[in-house]
Amino acid sequence: MSDFLDDVQRDAVTEIINIAIGQAAGALSQLVDEEVRLSVPLVHFLTPDRAAARLDEETGGGESVAVRQHFQGPFAGDILLIFPERRSLHLVRQMLGDDLPVDQLTELEQEALMEVGNIILNACLGSLANQLGMGVESSLPCYVRGRGRGILDSGQRPGIESEMVMFLHVDFSVRAKDVHGYLAFVMDISSARHFIDAVQAYVTAQMGG
Amino acid sequence: MTATKTVLLVDDSRVARMMTRRMIETDRPGWQIVEAATGEEALEVYSRVLPDFVVLDVNMPGIGGLEAAKRLKAVYPQAVVTLLTANIQDPVRDQAETMGVGFMSKPVRADVLMAFLSTEDE
Repeated sequence: MSDFLDDVQRDAVTEIINIAIGQAAGALSQLVDEEVRLSVPLVHFLTPDRAAARLDEETGGGESVAVRQHFQGPFAGDILLIFPERRSLHLVRQMLGDDLPVDQLTELEQEALMEVGNIILNACLGSLANQLGMGVESSLPCYVRGRGRGILDSGQRPGIESEMVMFLHVDFSVRAKDVHGYLAFVMDISSARHFIDAVQAYVTAQMGG
Repeated sequence: MTATKTVLLVDDSRVARMMTRRMIETDRPGWQIVEAATGEEALEVYSRVLPDFVVLDVNMPGIGGLEAAKRLKAVYPQAVVTLLTANIQDPVRDQAETMGVGFMSKPVRADVLMAFLSTEDE
């Protein structure tokens, strides 16, 4: 299902997202003091069920933990930071220091993940907004745990069950810390069209068109 | 030798406060650190403690950091305040500049934070 985007638009969306994710990766790299490797962003137009199944396929079908923020502005949707396995203690230790006892680390894991999500998701959203010259408001981060459907279903869009969504995701990994995860955008088609139009306008302006 | 000062850390995330606290305790041992989890609480703590520096998150439940900074500067124009936020959008930086408060993006680097905490030493 790719006819929502022509090749030039897909290339433009990928490039804009690449830059935004690069900002997010920079923030994560600073948090863990290691290089963060990124995949090329992939954009798919899927039904919500198919998007959930796709996430399950990529995370091995197990439970994931995620931090989700709803955003709104000229386009709206959800942005998610997803960890397929509970490897986040590494991150927490890196953030708060080696001298914290394990029980306290465990207690703080959820809050630490939310702060990681807050930093990374806002770095990405902020970069997007700055590039496109638009203001984007985001909700406070929320922590979710479960399989694909539970992770992706924000409960805020009751009317879109049968609609398509734009599912845009990037894999990232911190090899030295054995941490990998996904950053995903989910937008309904109406918002996706506004987003693609904004990207197209930005690229046209950049090229002096 | 830096004289002992007081820093007010404002963030709804306990982890975020812990990370910033750790940096300050490492580089400025002996400084007093007080905390608040909301903008409203920050205003109350500020009026009671009158800290030398305020490090303020933006996206928080309640009035949020920008409104808290605005109210704080209205009553205490001499307050030394910086935003410390994941929200890196240009309009947030612009509002900080307009209000006369600093802007630092998360995750903050120790040298950037310490430069802010040296503001009064200049």
